[in-house]
Parts: sequence; C-alpha cells; structure tokens
Amino acid sequence: MASFKPEEKRRAFERLGSVREIVFGIQDGVLTTAGVLAGLSGALSGRSQVILAALASTAAGALSMGAGAYLGTRAETQVMRNELERVRRESERQPYIVQEELLAALGKEGLSREAGYRVVKLLSHAPDALFSTAEQKLYGLSGSTLGNPALDGLLMGAAFLAGALAPLLPFVLIASVRYGLIAGIAMTAIVLFAVGYVFEGVLAGERSPTAAGLRFLAIALGAAAIGYLVGLLISPIGAASAG
Amino acid sequence: MLKPGDPAPPFDLPCAFDGKLSHLSLDGIRSEMVVLFFYPRDFSFICPTEVVGFHKAQPAFKTEHTSIVGVSADDAESHRRWAVELGGVSYPLLADAGGRLARAYGVFDDKEQVAMRATFVLDRARTVAYCVASPINVGRSVSETLRIVRAIRTGRLCPADWEPGAEFGPADHKF
Repeated sequence: MASFKPEEKRRAFERLGSVREIVFGIQDGVLTTAGVLAGLSGALSGRSQVILAALASTAAGALSMGAGAYLGTRAETQVMRNELERVRRESERQPYIVQEELLAALGKEGLSREAGYRVVKLLSHAPDALFSTAEQKLYGLSGSTLGNPALDGLLMGAAFLAGALAPLLPFVLIASVRYGLIAGIAMTAIVLFAVGYVFEGVLAGERSPTAAGLRFLAIALGAAAIGYLVGLLISPIGAASAG
Repeated sequence: MLKPGDPAPPFDLPCAFDGKLSHLSLDGIRSEMVVLFFYPRDFSFICPTEVVGFHKAQPAFKTEHTSIVGVSADDAESHRRWAVELGGVSYPLLADAGGRLARAYGVFDDKEQVAMRATFVLDRARTVAYCVASPINVGRSVSETLRIVRAIRTGRLCPADWEPGAEFGPADHKF
C-alpha cells in the first residue's frame, strides 16, 4: 500500500530550495578557476606558481561565496520574518479583513463564495491555521520557505569548491601547462553541461535534458566570453595609463 | 446618494424571508417607518455582524413601528441559505440582482460591483428621513440606527446624542 509521508515531502521540497546555491556555486567555481588558470598560465612562468595562485583564489572564492550566501540569506530571512510578524499583528487586530481577502482568494481558485466562506469560517476557529493559510494564499509567504543561512552558506562554499576542482584537477595532474589547461577547459565545459543537464533538465522535468545542458553551457560560456572581450577592449586603456 | 427629503425609490424584488423565497415591494410594507440597509455580500465576514445585529434588535424596531429590510446584489436563494447559516434572520433580505435598487439610492460601488454599506430610514410618506454610508470594511451601528428612528418618531427637536427620556430642544425652534 502506497504511503503518503508529508514530512518527507516537505524536507524534499526544502532540499530543492538549495538548488540555487548549488548551481550558482558550481558555475562560479568552475568559471572563476578556469579564468584564473587561463590568465595566470600566460602571465606566470612556473606551473607550481599557477597552481598555488589558483588554490588561493579557490579558497578565497569559496569563503567569499559562502559568507555572501550566509549573509544574504540571513538578511533575507530577517526581513521576511519581520514582515510576516507585521502582517500577523495586523491580522490579529483586524481578522475580518484577512477573512475577506482569503475568501476572495479562494474564490479566484474556483471555490464558490458559500464554500469559501465555510472554509474560512472553519479556519477561523484556529487563528494560527487562519493566519498561516492567509500568509501562503495572500502573500505567498510561509515560515517553511524562509532560508537557512548556515546551510545556504555551507552549500554555496562547498559547491564553489567542487566546481573549482573541475578545471584545477587536470591542471594539477597533467605535467604540461598547455595540455593541463586544455583538459581543464574541457572539464569546465563538461561540468557546466552536466549541471545544466541534471538541474535544468532532469530535475526540472525538461523534455530534453541535453538541450538544457547545452543551453546552460552556452549561457555560462557566453558570459565568460563577453567578459573576456570586454577585457580585450579595455586593455589598451590600461596599457596607455601604465605607459 | 439620496439625501433626507428625497422620495424613496420604490422596489418590488424577490426576497428571502422566514426560510422561504418570496417577493417584497415598498408599497407592501405597512409599518410607519422602514429601515432599508444595503450591504455588500452574503457569506462575508463583516456583513453578518450587521445582519445579526439588526436581527437581534428587530423587536425593538418593531416596538417603534419600524420594519427592517436588508438588501444586497446576491440572489434570493443565496439570501435564504445565508440566513440559515446565520441561524435565522427575522426580516426580509431583498435580492437586488445587478444592483439596480442600490443605483437608484446612489449607493452602488461600480468598481466592486456590490452595494455600499449604507442605511436609509424612510418615514411614513416614504421619503428619506435619514441616511448614512460606512466604509466597506467598517460595520455600522445598529443601536445608532435605532436611536435615530426613535428620535425621528418623536417629531421634536432632538439635540446631539439624544436618547429617549432626555430633554427635547425648544418647540419653537426649527434648527
């Protein structure tokens, strides 16, 4: 007999809420490290110097991204929690306003006015149930959708590190700088495609995960290519001011 | 919105009363005065406090020879079911489909497509003796309506916050 376990479902949904941090972290880790390796390979003569600089950049990037995600989610959570409390205080002062708005929202979702009235009236017997339903239906807010700053920070940092390994490992393992770089860039492309394939394709239920992977790869590499072109354009200015 | 002294627009509309569907016309009301109150909707959360409030005060209005009639744009069957939901309503609820009557009294909210929260007290000649409209989210005072009815029925000059038993203004003063 099939069993429905809402708690497990809820936890699964909460885990899905971390997709943003994972995708963002991996994509940034991959591209930043590939860019550092490509840039330093031309500028520095020693392979070990390039590796050390890339490791330092990876560590700094992971810490910075993790801290940024932690602080960002914490600020967002505090603002949202404050707003939820404000809305709840208002609702407690004027419950009939919430009742009327909830009734209208249920009507828009297809319930007759009479049926909606009965639902809201029943909910009104338990104010917590009324307010949490109103928060979700009217404002799209709920306590469970608030992020976890520590988890978001850890995931973002770890994802950045994992992404950074893709171009870095081949570079470390292959003795030739040139071939190491080529392998690193190839790994970068493979990882970007894989992230798109898994997250935007398979998990998102897209009909063609391959197309999703290619789209993700194109957007990520396109952004990097534009950044490179901008660098080329402004480099004469830098050279002129240095001269 | 109509003002005191204006003739009350007549009506002959379906209604729900005493658990049944019926018809009611202004001409058919024999009481000395009529309280005609418009409200936005059946099955809402502010209106029942007023509808129930008038229901509870109905004996006091009857003592003042005053009939109460509620009006909204809902149909008569909706009124009937809502009256049951509220545990019974001791006066008729008029079905003003499309809000024609509310428009005639100048209290139809075109944006929301509902009647405003407005009360009219009609005198024996069926002219407007008193009228008031409340914001959509503020219920009106039933006791104030009853006080107004009592004051009007004295035919005397009643000072502010006059209550039965209090002194009247000078008989030779008009204002």
